[in-house]
Amino acid sequence: MKTEAAASGRRRSLGFLARFLGLLVVFYFLVAWRPVNDAVIVPFTAAVARVSSGILAVLGEGTHVEGTEIRSDRFAVNIENGCNGVETALLFGSAVLAFPAPWKKRLIGLLLGLVAIQIVNLVRVVSLFWIGAHRPSLFSSSHTVLWQSVVVLCGVLLFLLWATWGTGRRAAVERHGAAKER
Amino acid sequence: MARPKSAEAAGRLAIRVDGRSLLRLAAGFLAGLGVWLLFAAPYERAMAAAGEALLRAFEKPPVTRLEASRGEVIVDRADFPEASPRPGLPAGDLHFNFVLLCALFAMTPRPLSPGNFGRFWAAAALLWVVHVLALVVQIESVYATRLGPWSEAHYGSLARNLWAGSFHFYQIAGRFAAPFVLWWALGRPQAPPHGKS
Repeated sequence: MKTEAAASGRRRSLGFLARFLGLLVVFYFLVAWRPVNDAVIVPFTAAVARVSSGILAVLGEGTHVEGTEIRSDRFAVNIENGCNGVETALLFGSAVLAFPAPWKKRLIGLLLGLVAIQIVNLVRVVSLFWIGAHRPSLFSSSHTVLWQSVVVLCGVLLFLLWATWGTGRRAAVERHGAAKER
Repeated sequence: MARPKSAEAAGRLAIRVDGRSLLRLAAGFLAGLGVWLLFAAPYERAMAAAGEALLRAFEKPPVTRLEASRGEVIVDRADFPEASPRPGLPAGDLHFNFVLLCALFAMTPRPLSPGNFGRFWAAAALLWVVHVLALVVQIESVYATRLGPWSEAHYGSLARNLWAGSFHFYQIAGRFAAPFVLWWALGRPQAPPHGKS
């Protein structure tokens, strides 16, 4: 019994990974395809730059935006693919869609998760610009290791939160039902 | 057709995102960052040596030489003109995802248990293989797209797109997905199966 259940768990786990990787490749091709990149990703990245510049202006950085580039007298940064939160959104979206769940739960997860990822990414862009302007020696390591890892970890945590959402309540209901049957 | 129900599948996750698991994740992240900073240089040398061996295994004659130096992998070829500059590829971009792997494995309830430790090192070894393959793909994409007429003479249109696209996939999605996939396959805590033996 136990071996059967373990084998079934392994099959489900491998099935999830296969679906996750398949969706990741499909979504990657979609966002890397030039018409989609030009019509969706670049304008979206420019919007990220505008919102970030607005926040930086409130913080007194005196920034302005040219396309996907944020500039001030002290520093300039170009937001590229990999810095616009799309990479974490691809990861999160693939995991949510690959995980067995009702569509309603998936849609709620996608909506809230993608918004949360973009909020974290805005904090990343704003803080990286500030570091570049005021602590330039820390920019490279903060950009590559620290913030990329933090944003991706946020994506993974959001997925785990979503995947386990409601399971405690459901387990309690199941325990309650089993007790009543006894 | 019956599909696994969410409650059943999610119940099998057996991981709770709470204050304690977030603390363990943060501790794992910092520990991983420390190890990564301390051992990046020897790691890059090992990665470059393995990448060079793999590239030369498929070259006729074998001409590529890789040298890890100051956070870069310098690409040299025996047939490069003496005076031409040697491309330097930032190595940290390839392997910083080791820190993500550490953070994810630390999130489990008993991160220092021998079982979790063993699975972590198995995942880290597999991640090293991913890093070597990513380095090889990056170098092939440099050969295929960044050496002007030489690239066009030696790589067809399909090969150029394949190598450049593969490395771009690693940059955008692969390097973040690799630690998650390895953790999910090897390190994720699983609930004991239902039923009695």
